[in-house]
Amino acid sequence: MVLGNYKECVSARATDRSILARAQDGGIVTQLFAFALDEGIIDGAIVAGQGPEPWQPEPIVAMTKQELLDAQGTRYNICPNMALIKEATRSYGLDRVGVVGTPCQMQAVRKAQLYPVGMRYVGDKIALALGIFCMENFSYQGFEAMTEDFCNVKLESAVKMDIGKGKYSVYNSSGEVKQMPLKHTLKFVQPGCHVCLDYVANLADVSTGSVGSPDGWSTVFVRTKKGDDIWAKAMAAGCFETKPIEEVKPGLELVTKLATDKITKNQKHVDERATFGVKADGSAKALRNPYL
Amino acid sequence: MFTVRVLQHSRNVCEHFLYSCSNRNYGKAIIVSKVVEISPTTRHEGHTKLVLKVNDDGIIERGDWLSLTPVRGIEKLAIGKSMHQVPKISSRVCGICPVAHTLAGIEAMEASICCEIPEDAYLLRVILQCANRLHSHALHNILTLPDMYLPGTDTHINPFTPEEPVRSVAKRIQKLREIGQTVGEIAGGEPIHPSNPRVGGMYKNITPRAKAKLYDLAKEASVLAREHMEFMITVLKDWENREAASVANGPEVEKNDKFGFHDQGYMAVDPLYGNSSLDVDQRWFPERWTEVRPWDWYMGEMEITMDDPDYPIGGTTPAGAKAWPQMEACTGVPLYDGVPVEVGPRARLAIFRNYDRKGAMGLQIARQMEYPDCLYSMIEAIDALDTSGSVLADEIPQGDGSLGWCANEAPRGTDVHLAKVKDGKVAWYSLLVPTTWNFPTCSRALEGAPWQLAEVIVRAYDPCVSCATHMLVVDESKKVVAQKLVQ
Repeated sequence: MVLGNYKECVSARATDRSILARAQDGGIVTQLFAFALDEGIIDGAIVAGQGPEPWQPEPIVAMTKQELLDAQGTRYNICPNMALIKEATRSYGLDRVGVVGTPCQMQAVRKAQLYPVGMRYVGDKIALALGIFCMENFSYQGFEAMTEDFCNVKLESAVKMDIGKGKYSVYNSSGEVKQMPLKHTLKFVQPGCHVCLDYVANLADVSTGSVGSPDGWSTVFVRTKKGDDIWAKAMAAGCFETKPIEEVKPGLELVTKLATDKITKNQKHVDERATFGVKADGSAKALRNPYL
Repeated sequence: MFTVRVLQHSRNVCEHFLYSCSNRNYGKAIIVSKVVEISPTTRHEGHTKLVLKVNDDGIIERGDWLSLTPVRGIEKLAIGKSMHQVPKISSRVCGICPVAHTLAGIEAMEASICCEIPEDAYLLRVILQCANRLHSHALHNILTLPDMYLPGTDTHINPFTPEEPVRSVAKRIQKLREIGQTVGEIAGGEPIHPSNPRVGGMYKNITPRAKAKLYDLAKEASVLAREHMEFMITVLKDWENREAASVANGPEVEKNDKFGFHDQGYMAVDPLYGNSSLDVDQRWFPERWTEVRPWDWYMGEMEITMDDPDYPIGGTTPAGAKAWPQMEACTGVPLYDGVPVEVGPRARLAIFRNYDRKGAMGLQIARQMEYPDCLYSMIEAIDALDTSGSVLADEIPQGDGSLGWCANEAPRGTDVHLAKVKDGKVAWYSLLVPTTWNFPTCSRALEGAPWQLAEVIVRAYDPCVSCATHMLVVDESKKVVAQKLVQ
């Protein structure tokens, strides 16, 4: 079960042109949050806004469609969305919060709901949790080195980044595409990612990512009852055009392959950690296993 | 021979001394006092007990109401910690009015370092203060209602019954509490142990959406609170007009005329919020505060000579057991101008609103009368709040070790925190919390009442005991403390 439980899997993209114009792929997250905001399913959503440095994300609470549009696109470095989840229910005064995040952040959302230590009255206010596929993430400094030193594009002049087909690609303002092989980015991966055994955000209500669908489309897993309910409403409202996942190339096969690769590789790392440390007498010592 | 310490300003101790003499020397012919102990007292926060000397008619001649909650040691924990951390620690002393302790602690630090906070931060704190008072008063209603009767009947009110009209009252109380806690959650970050207040102001202002939500909640509560206040005052006046009453399912006894009266003064610094040594118009004076050890105040060791196994719940302490209030009490006895004073809703209303109703029910009624004021102040503060204003002072001084104090009007009365901050670290810290002030005052209010109803008087003070466990270092005599304070 490398893809987790899901009720439905489709390839989809938003029908709203203004969302598609700047979307990373199919504009799924933006469109779904915009729909949920309109319908009153959520009062606001925690998304990755613009941080103090170029291409550095910072969590913000978006309460209008315009704020969602401003936060569109993927920036390949860390955005601690969970840091705002409590504040969203406090000084922002939200009763129904939407949150988007990577698989690890979805784990944090569910953990906050199950064991609400320091999260009083937060869990029941999480109305929609959207997960995005994630192989690994980079620190801002690593991301800066990849873009500026390997791809030779100043962050200020980059207009889009993309990872796919074994390459990290940066599009600059003069229309050029600079690329580097993905295997060279490995040393910039932040260490916590090496123990992660989740590729497709198994714990989200709806999870989405580009892998498996053609360019400009996204693969969507509808996982929970809540997610199914909202997805069905959005479909009925004509927010998305979809294709069956079986009919698109490369399809679920690639998603499964990448998920299996990630889990196999990281499971190996988790296992290595069992004997990685050194005790005072020189014998092996286990480092913490996050899954025990 | 027996020894009892006599303290000049303790009238009761002197009397106790005389009683003891007469008992020993002349036997039962002149005065026969019996000792009865209610331990623990119930339906209030914390752990206390009542040691009562009663006459043949069961009338209390002298009552000692004392805290049994172990000393927290907050004041010692604070020393050497950063001024930002200490108010957070002190708020952990209790979960019912952590807001008062947070705000009093923070403002004592701000007073010591001379830090003025922006207007919007002050308004957020006022909103938080009102929210805390709303929820606390409503909670106290649940605790106090089982003593009361449905007006016109002999039926005690059980707030948990599914039957009307009590059910809708209980729901209204819970709604008021919910609103209080939600407002506290938004303005303060957490309803219990608020995270948003900090030295220098607040961490975050709220959004316009949150402001609108607060306004709606406050408006909703103000209608409910008015209805609720009227209901509560009717019930309380009904109790006051009864000839006889009982505690829960205990025996019904005749009440005395001046039930719960005392002749002590009142202490309050503000009708709603507080006062600190930064204010131009200072209304609390540290040099007028002194403290007495429980050893010098409470009764000595004695044998319990009367019991009532039917007293709810589980009976009083069996006769033959020992009680030793002066050793068991876990609070210092703070005095203002050398005498115990009353703090709380009635003190606020008496000082600032010319309220003059006395007795246990006078205090209860005053508490209900604070509901509307609390909500109107909340609405005014929400209205005045600028959600885009800064809530943090531009500069936060680190302090030179001078004394700062803040007296915050907590739901139960004046909560005074005193602090000395030097280079950002707390050098000295002291808490004078509401129920500590009320302990000796309430003990005097017990006199003259039938002992079976003593708990009704105690509950009228809305005791919240866990923060009231405040001790002096034994070596410190009254004089030394006073000298330190005026430095």
